[in-house]
Amino acid sequence: MNIEWYIVLSALLFAIGAVGILVRRSPMVILLCLELMLNAGNLALVAFSREVGNQQGQVFALVVMVIAACEVVVGLGLIVAIFRRKLPLNVDDLRELRG
Amino acid sequence: MSATSWAWLVLLFPLVGSIAIALGFRTLPSKAAGLIGTAAIGAAFICGIAALVCLLGEDPEARHHASSLWDYASVAGLNIRLGIYVDPLSVFMVLVVTGVSTLIHLYSYGYMQSDQGYHRFFSYLNFFVFSMLLLVLAGNFVLLIVGWAFVGFASYALISFWYRRKTATKAGMKAFVINVVGDIGLVLAAFLIFRELGTFEYEDVFAKAPQVFHTNEWTVVAICLLLLVGAFAKSAQLPFHTWLPDAMEGPTPVSSLIHAATMVTAGVYLIARTHTLFVLAPTAADIAAFVGLATLLVAGTIALVMTDLKRAIAYSTMSQIGYMIMGVSIGAYSAGMFHLMTHAFFKALLFMAAGSFISAMANKQNIDEMSGFGKAMRFTSITFVCGALALAAFPGTSGFFSKDEILAYAHARGGMYDIFQILGYFGALLTAIYTFRLVFRVLPGKPCKEAQELIDTGHLAHETPRNPASGEEEDTDVGFPGAEHHIAEQSPGMKIAMGVLAFLALFAGLVQVPGLDETITHFLDPVFADSPLAEIVPSVGASWAGLAIGAAISVVGIGIAYWLYILRPEMPAALIRRFGWLHTFLVNKWYFDELIDVLVVRPALAIGRFANRFFERFVVDGLVTGTEETVRGASSVAHRLQNGFVRSYALILIAGFAGLALYFLIVQS
Amino acid sequence: MINVLLWAPLAFGIVGLFLRGKAVGWWATLGTVVTLGVAIGMVLGFDSGSSGLQYTVDTPWISGLGVDYSLGIDGLNLFLILLTALLWVGGTAFAAFREQERPQLFFFLMLLAETATLGSFLAQDLLLFVLFFDFMLVPFYFLFGSWGTDRKDGPTASAATLKMMIYTLIGSLLMLVAAIATAIISADGGHLTFSIADLQRQGLPLDSQRWIFWFFAAAFLVKMPAFLLHGWMPDAYRAAPLPVLAVFSGVLAKVGAYGFLRIVLPLFPEATVEFQEVVLVIALASILYGSVMAFTQTNVRLIGGYSSVAQLGFITAGIFALRADGADGAVLQMVNHGLVVAPLFIIVAILVERTGTEDIREMGGMALRAPVLAALFLIVALATLAMPGSANFIGEFYILNGLFQSKIVFALIAISGVAMSAYYALRLYQATMHNRLPSRQNQGLLSREISLRDGVVLAPLVLCIVALALYPQLILHRTAPTVQQTVASVTGGKAPEAQLAKESSKSELAQK
Repeated sequence: MNIEWYIVLSALLFAIGAVGILVRRSPMVILLCLELMLNAGNLALVAFSREVGNQQGQVFALVVMVIAACEVVVGLGLIVAIFRRKLPLNVDDLRELRG
Repeated sequence: MSATSWAWLVLLFPLVGSIAIALGFRTLPSKAAGLIGTAAIGAAFICGIAALVCLLGEDPEARHHASSLWDYASVAGLNIRLGIYVDPLSVFMVLVVTGVSTLIHLYSYGYMQSDQGYHRFFSYLNFFVFSMLLLVLAGNFVLLIVGWAFVGFASYALISFWYRRKTATKAGMKAFVINVVGDIGLVLAAFLIFRELGTFEYEDVFAKAPQVFHTNEWTVVAICLLLLVGAFAKSAQLPFHTWLPDAMEGPTPVSSLIHAATMVTAGVYLIARTHTLFVLAPTAADIAAFVGLATLLVAGTIALVMTDLKRAIAYSTMSQIGYMIMGVSIGAYSAGMFHLMTHAFFKALLFMAAGSFISAMANKQNIDEMSGFGKAMRFTSITFVCGALALAAFPGTSGFFSKDEILAYAHARGGMYDIFQILGYFGALLTAIYTFRLVFRVLPGKPCKEAQELIDTGHLAHETPRNPASGEEEDTDVGFPGAEHHIAEQSPGMKIAMGVLAFLALFAGLVQVPGLDETITHFLDPVFADSPLAEIVPSVGASWAGLAIGAAISVVGIGIAYWLYILRPEMPAALIRRFGWLHTFLVNKWYFDELIDVLVVRPALAIGRFANRFFERFVVDGLVTGTEETVRGASSVAHRLQNGFVRSYALILIAGFAGLALYFLIVQS
Repeated sequence: MINVLLWAPLAFGIVGLFLRGKAVGWWATLGTVVTLGVAIGMVLGFDSGSSGLQYTVDTPWISGLGVDYSLGIDGLNLFLILLTALLWVGGTAFAAFREQERPQLFFFLMLLAETATLGSFLAQDLLLFVLFFDFMLVPFYFLFGSWGTDRKDGPTASAATLKMMIYTLIGSLLMLVAAIATAIISADGGHLTFSIADLQRQGLPLDSQRWIFWFFAAAFLVKMPAFLLHGWMPDAYRAAPLPVLAVFSGVLAKVGAYGFLRIVLPLFPEATVEFQEVVLVIALASILYGSVMAFTQTNVRLIGGYSSVAQLGFITAGIFALRADGADGAVLQMVNHGLVVAPLFIIVAILVERTGTEDIREMGGMALRAPVLAALFLIVALATLAMPGSANFIGEFYILNGLFQSKIVFALIAISGVAMSAYYALRLYQATMHNRLPSRQNQGLLSREISLRDGVVLAPLVLCIVALALYPQLILHRTAPTVQQTVASVTGGKAPEAQLAKESSKSELAQK
């Protein structure tokens, strides 16, 4: 099977995730879109790894999954904390970091 | 003991006295402080005599010794040692300084009795004598400068002794700053000497100088001119003289000791000491002589119109130092030194007597308010007349012999130098007039209020003392003598001092009568033997002819004063009306103070103010604020990017990566 | 021993953090006294005939970069170390007698500052020097910022301190770059070293010397501070707590001048000769500008500050006369100036405490009831104006003589600063001690003699001034060999002997 299809799929997923991050305001959805982008990356890694016949890429995909899991834990924790403190669940309203 | 050991002791006593009095200012009773101070100077005088005896016991050619204690600062080729140089000149100065100082200490012991700052006064006074002795005994130029500056400081401290008087502190500052200018002249001279000769020691400098320098070579002229800056500043010669009249703010014994008898003559000593250099630089010597001449005339004219008793005597001091400077510059070395000695006697005496009058007047110094003291204070008046006679060079007195010796030498040298004799005689006429103006205004006539009170009740004036310059009430806390002020007639110490000085003023001239003894010339001869000018000696006949002219002029001058102030008392006022412009010009002291103010003081202050207001704010701070503004401007761009919108950060991130990817794609293809 | 000297203050400071109350101050004072004792011991054991380093310590530290932990004492830094140790005793004791906020931290920072300062004097490794030089700033930043005074008429303490930091940090960064560049360029691909002695042996090409010279000079001139780079000084001096200012002004400014002698002259000799006149112009401008400013200021701290600008100008001029006598004078004058400026600021502290003002126009007449204070102040003031007979005079005499023999025009201009110093020093003395106050109600406030505790701090310093005045040779003959060698590294061994030889040949000619 040709590698192009995997790459195209991966790019598509990545673009969907990126657009999602840029247009949605709910932190929950942004987190989902982030996952989507990470997994698009994973897909590309695995595809390339098969293409070259080297297993290292697959190991990297596993590492990324672990990191993604951690990220989700922290991210969901943050969202719960925001919810608990009765803050708006809207990233445009949360701009304390303005310089 | 050798002469140098005695000389070290001469230095030691006043220093120890000064320190002892200063440290004991709480514990010592004030009488003890005065006694210690007087005794220390007396001991120094005795040591000075011992040194003299040692020197006299030697061959005249071998009468010079150098001695040093330790390396003061000697690295990198500058060998500066703590050393002294003893020869007839320095011993002569030591004797004059310690002798007159002992008497003045004795006088101060009574005069300052009711002053709160008694310890401070004697400590300063002893320190002054130490500094002056250091100046005359120094064995190299660096130590000379140290002594030179020390006397300047002592003078400052004593001028502003009554430090709550604004006028006194101001006068002290003026004296100090002008003296520092003089110090700088000396320092530069020392650098130049070191550059050319590689040493600071007197002996080496004077030995090498004739071999290295050609006559009138620019370097040696420059050295001499720089030395003259020092000499003029210290000796109150034009144009550095303005501090001396103001220095009269100090207590009268100070005026007597420092600003008449000793310190102000340091310039004369300096020229005599460095005569070897001045012989090599005749141009500089002539300049010095002309400045001396100008000073003696200018100061003489100002003294004619001063109504402040002490200031009038101060201008007379300037004028007399003009004679001395003139003398040692044209080559009349021993005559100049002789005049220095006699002047020390009679001028110290005049100040002491003036001090008595002033305190009897409750500190008023204006001669217009004084009269009739001849009856009220007989002893003081007699001594005052003795001093005045000597100053006016009345035949037979000490000033008569010393002043005319200088003028006779000027004539003997001939040529251009005759000017000095002619104008010197004119100055002598002025001297006689202004001196006896003071005498005739203060002593005879109907006693003024204060004098009458003294005659009737024996009380001194008890008014609150006021500052004669500003009319401000004096602050008796700081030590300004209050109503309980003692004057000459009441203290034996003061009487002894004035009596001895009166005797010396009248008869000290007899040690140096032309053709008879000439003791001082013989004593000082070995010092000046190397100078070709010392070989010019006026003949005995010419000297006596000069003395005759001098006597005539003195008598004429006194006569004019008698005519003006006793016979026709309305004349002076008429003269003032007739020559109003001249009077104003003289009363304003030829406008020297104003000139210096416009030329030096104001520009310096203006620069300072400009620097403060403009430069500091705009240039120096401008550097900082400029940098700050730039940084702030640059940061405002970055500042706008940090808007806190998570999604815009994400956009930048993605756009950045996209850009990067695009770049690599383009590079690849 | 040298390690004890360097680290003892810091050790005492750390222990002091765990004490409380008044004991902290006394403990810190004890620490400075111990350090002073060690320093005196080292001066006594110093071999005055040798020009090389003594008491050396040299262990590799970051061997990959060629950085060594290398310390040593020679004629250049011997008395500066003694001065540092002495002034810190004075400053710390003066502070210990008074209540301080958060004393643990205050005294810890004081002692930390002492270690840093000693370190920069002792370091014989370029990078170590840079490190200590920058490290000095840290404690002073906090001391000035947290214990300083905010002014109504000027910036707050922290703003003033920030300004000082920016100035000095820019200088320091330039110096860091320059130090690294020196090592890399002089190694020329070979073994990297930062040892000053090795770098001097290896030498640098002239075109790199040129810019590196200015990078170093910038750091040192800011520290002094020199004219045009002194913008931080007025604000910082007005903000600083006075006992800290006494040591700061007494010692830190000297690090800059010392840096010229230790680093710039030996490492960049050709550039030094080339830029001699430029630096002299800066020095002259500092002298004149500092003096003029000092006699128009009315704030007592600023009179002290600007007079330091002028004095450091003299010191720089002495170094850049590039003659042994000028540099000897400069080293002597560094010690002298430290010795007078520290008591001056302590006296200022006493005056300010008493009158509650820093304006000399509102002071006056204090000599009446405080004659001892007046006498001490008088000695300090006279030494400040380099009265002949004081060691300061000998210092200036040597400096100006060196300048006179090498660049006569500069000497003639510089000497006018002497006259001005007479005026501003006396003016300061008169305005505070003499005259009458305009208003009489303040007089009760003033009528106190100096207290015993202040006398204990002040009198020893004044005694040192007097002792040095009697025997400046004490310093000169110990420092001369090293100074001679340092200057010779620039002039290529043309010592003043050459000059003297010329003189004697001239006199021989004249004899013929």
